[in-house]
Amino acid sequence: MLRVALKDILARKRRLVTTGLAILLGIAFLSGTQMLSQTLKGSISGIFDYAYDSYDAVIRSPKEQDLGFGQKLRVPVDAEVVEKVRRVSGVRAASGIVESSTAKLIGSNGKVYGSSFGPPTIVYNWQSDPRLTSGSLTDGRGPKSNDEMVLDFASAADAGLRVGDRVKVASQEGTREFTLVGLVGIGPDGKTSPGATTLIFPTEVAQELARIPGQFNYVVAAADPGLDQITLASAIAGALPDVQVVTGEQFKAENVNAIGQIVDILLTFVSVFGYIALFVAAFIIYNTFSILIAQRTRETALLRAVGARRSQILFANVIEAIIVGALASLLGLLLGTGLASVLRSVVSNIFSMATTQAVPTASNVLYALGVGISVTVISSFVPSLRASRVPPIAALSEATVDRANLSMGRVVWGSGVLIIGSGLAVVGFMDLGPNPLLTFGAGAALVLIAVSLILAPVIIGPFFGAIGRLSPWRGSIVSRLSRANAVRNPRRTASTAAALTIGVTLVTLIAIVANSIKASVDTAATEALNADFIVGVGTFSLGSGLPESTVKSIKALDSVAVASPMRFGPVRITDAYGAKHAAEGSSGSSDGSTGSFGAAVGGPRGQDVLVAGVDPQTIFDVLNFGKLQGSKRDFVDGTIAVEESVAKKRNWRIGDEVPLYFAETGEQKVRVAVIYPNNVGSSAFFLPISTFKANMLKVFNLDFLLSVKVADGYSDSTVRTELERQVKDLPEVTVQDIRQYIDSQTAPFDTFLAIIYALLMLAVIIALIGIANTLSLSVLERTRELGLLRAVGMSAKQLRRSIFAESLLIAVFGTGIGLALGVVFSAAVSTVIAAENPDVFTYTVPVGSLAIIVIGALVSGVVAAIVPAWRAARMQVLQAVAAL
Amino acid sequence: MSSTSTDLAAAGAIDAVKIYGEEDTEVRALDGVTVSFERGRFTAIMGPSGSGKSTLMHCLAGLDTLSSGRVFIADTYLDTLSESQLTEMRRDRIGFVFQAFNLIPTLSALENITLPMDLAGRKPDESWLDQVVDILGLRPRLTHRPSELSGGQQQRVAVARALATQPQIVFADEPTGNLDSRSGVDLLEFMRHAVDSLGQTIVMVTHDPTAAAHADRVVFLADGQIRDEMIEPTAERVLDLMKQLGD
Ligand SMILES: Nc1ncnc2c1ncn2[C@@H]1O[C@H](COP(=O)(O)OP(=O)(O)OP(=O)(O)O)[C@@H](O)[C@H]1O
Ligand SMILES: [Mg+2]
Repeated sequence: MLRVALKDILARKRRLVTTGLAILLGIAFLSGTQMLSQTLKGSISGIFDYAYDSYDAVIRSPKEQDLGFGQKLRVPVDAEVVEKVRRVSGVRAASGIVESSTAKLIGSNGKVYGSSFGPPTIVYNWQSDPRLTSGSLTDGRGPKSNDEMVLDFASAADAGLRVGDRVKVASQEGTREFTLVGLVGIGPDGKTSPGATTLIFPTEVAQELARIPGQFNYVVAAADPGLDQITLASAIAGALPDVQVVTGEQFKAENVNAIGQIVDILLTFVSVFGYIALFVAAFIIYNTFSILIAQRTRETALLRAVGARRSQILFANVIEAIIVGALASLLGLLLGTGLASVLRSVVSNIFSMATTQAVPTASNVLYALGVGISVTVISSFVPSLRASRVPPIAALSEATVDRANLSMGRVVWGSGVLIIGSGLAVVGFMDLGPNPLLTFGAGAALVLIAVSLILAPVIIGPFFGAIGRLSPWRGSIVSRLSRANAVRNPRRTASTAAALTIGVTLVTLIAIVANSIKASVDTAATEALNADFIVGVGTFSLGSGLPESTVKSIKALDSVAVASPMRFGPVRITDAYGAKHAAEGSSGSSDGSTGSFGAAVGGPRGQDVLVAGVDPQTIFDVLNFGKLQGSKRDFVDGTIAVEESVAKKRNWRIGDEVPLYFAETGEQKVRVAVIYPNNVGSSAFFLPISTFKANMLKVFNLDFLLSVKVADGYSDSTVRTELERQVKDLPEVTVQDIRQYIDSQTAPFDTFLAIIYALLMLAVIIALIGIANTLSLSVLERTRELGLLRAVGMSAKQLRRSIFAESLLIAVFGTGIGLALGVVFSAAVSTVIAAENPDVFTYTVPVGSLAIIVIGALVSGVVAAIVPAWRAARMQVLQAVAAL
Repeated sequence: MSSTSTDLAAAGAIDAVKIYGEEDTEVRALDGVTVSFERGRFTAIMGPSGSGKSTLMHCLAGLDTLSSGRVFIADTYLDTLSESQLTEMRRDRIGFVFQAFNLIPTLSALENITLPMDLAGRKPDESWLDQVVDILGLRPRLTHRPSELSGGQQQRVAVARALATQPQIVFADEPTGNLDSRSGVDLLEFMRHAVDSLGQTIVMVTHDPTAAAHADRVVFLADGQIRDEMIEPTAERVLDLMKQLGD
């Protein structure tokens, strides 16, 4: 039987190519992202290996605040810790480190250097002790006075800066100028780029820029020769009871993990689209195998007639699937490696960091083969089973088309699957069950299968009938033939269209939901914002904001009636609700890893949120909170204002004392003073600036934006000019009127959408391959018929047109169902979102975008028919007839 | 070929040679055939299996091209036509009936009959169509799909299609080959009728001497060459001649 399977593959290699191609693309995408993730992580860990190589122990505060995405910010330590560490026996050298992302390099064009997608900018203090330096100078010297600085060689080259140049640096205190006196790199020869824009200053300057005057972010120590890291760390921990000490190795590992987590989150997001593509591929495989098996019914029956057992037929078909799956997976892996290499060099360029070549590991190979083969075998199993049921007598009958059973039974069990799928999707979406995302995915997949594989064949007949009656070309023979061909095999047409349906469903769903959110954000912001101008930093990044002096002078302007500041910082809410919804790993206890000593990480379990710090006197003038519960006069130091929906969820009432955990000051009770109904954007929790200042780390204590109202008698344009003059030395700060501000807030949605559409292209391309494949197979199957048509006078052009029309019909069907499902799904998702954000969320259908989606899908339907149509028309009439 | 015979001929071949394969595997399916088929006559082509009958029909109907020599339909040499002109020629001026698989399975009997006209975007001549349908006894079967028709009925639909366009000539390659003798005779009588009362020109390949007896003239082919011919054939005379040629 193995021989039969192999012979079949060889005989049908052309027809199996498309099956293979679908798997190949999916696997290439998935293994490509996997390998990219591996190389990136490898390179990042390489960088940390170099950067932190000389550290044997790191001494730091046990208190930290969670910033989300695995990012944490630690309370700084006082300078005297350095002296204390130095005195511990076994310490050869110790030094305080300033490491902060609170300043930006300004390029020669006067704008902030780098983009938010590029490498981060990090401020360090200059380390003169050679025993604790992590790289070496490639040019010039270290900074000697407070107006000198050093830069990493890669950023300097990229920004066109040379030793001796004057360099501008933007910080929260305004722009400062330095002389560039040296360039550095990391690694033994200083030839490795740190992968971040690294600005190095004398300690005092670095501390000012990092807003930790007289302090360090952490202290590092080198051990005496022969002393191991663990002994050193525990010795230091023994001598300094209030700090946490980790070994150098542990410190590296933490940093690698933190960035690895971001890489993982990003690439998991991207991989989802790879799985979607494989799901689409599964439909195509199902389809191709169904067709191939139908085409060789007689052959199979003959095998049965001469004594092959059912199990042997099944075995032969499964073997065929395994071989196709394995070949395609290996080729996919190869393509994936190429893909990873290309992306790797792109990343390398953006981050000017050296990355290693992407090489598939054993686990990559196993994964690719495992996934590729399982998808192929599983999706071809039903057709294979069908083949094994072919009775020997079929050898004598005319070659059959595989007839769909369009009975009531199909409707009944299709509806059953549909209901189960919807149930699962709802359960998953409501965040219930052990793995909501998986439950939701499985539910959505079942719904798609139920609708487009089980139920669709039943409606194909009536659907095309209706199209036929509506079509302006209904009378023409070409249109009649193509319609007849599209319905002659409803199951095949349905599963072909299904591939497209998936893509259209997803795109429609995402387009509608994103558009609704965007419109809702826009409406909410328009309603909430009561100011004329917003002066602030474009995107929130740690330590960027408005210098105090600027805030003061804007407030002092005659033309400004109100200038209300707002700042943001992370806090952990440690009430019962917060403890229950605590993020993974936010448990307060020490992580118990072997490299960690001394004081445990403090802080109870809770939920990390972003709170806003505002001026209670003016905030109610510039933000429309709606009808308040409680009095705004009670919104004073030690209280909190909270949005009604959140208060309800957490069961907070006016006058309640609620616990907030701050890294700086520990757990604090604040009283709920105001509960407001409107979603005002930015945050659902507001603290008076005094409370914010008293508890929040200094690095967050900086006004992020200023809502400005124009005073009576001044025109907007004069005020704008005045405001712009105030911030002209602050390259990160912009003056926007409300419309501009709201647009800039919703702009990221469009970027996000564009990225999602691009990623979904893969699934759509695979769907098109599927349509082209089905058409090609159908054309082959109909060779005699086409020959006959040509013999009685159908022109090549008419033949081509009929195949285009058939493809278009399939595309219309797939798109129609996809559009319907997308709308239904989006309505379901919107209901849930709306329930969580009452009064804010409005369901908005972007008619224009949907029209583009439909047109795109239909055009691609026609494109898919190009090759099959060309092939059919090229067929020699007589050869086709002779295929008798 | 004299001009008079060209005038009278509905179709014909001059020195037709058709070679399949290359060099050592070369097969001369037609080896210098010169023949013409008169208007309004029913001609049968006979010959042993592999003698080139189908090849000749295909080349005459513009379904295949010759290696050398020429074929013509009425006053047109087919080698002067472009691909699309040839298609139109097949559609409007030639009817063809194959031995089996003559119908498009997705179309009804009537749609199959009017297919060439539909392809041309022309309305069929209703009275002619009615006449053809009635003579062939297809009236009650017009809305049926091919799979719902018997083999004989399918062949009759195919003949109806070939005649419906009132082509200059109809080629039929063993049209009765798959039919029982009763259905076969019905079909042959209809073709005879089409020639006699409707003035149709028909060329038919057959293996069956009784079938050939329905024709006005029989042309005998062997090894790709014309061996003999017979006017006003009867089944016995045809059988005799076949025996002679077989020796
Ligand atoms: N496509 C082809 N390639 C090679 N040889 C061919 C091809 N078609 C026909 N032949 C050969 O040409 C010769 C004539 O074939 P043709 O089909 O015309 O015979 P026929 O007289 O119709 O036979 P039958 O009575 O069996 O139908 C045969 O020897 C056949 O093998
Ligand atoms: Mg023949």
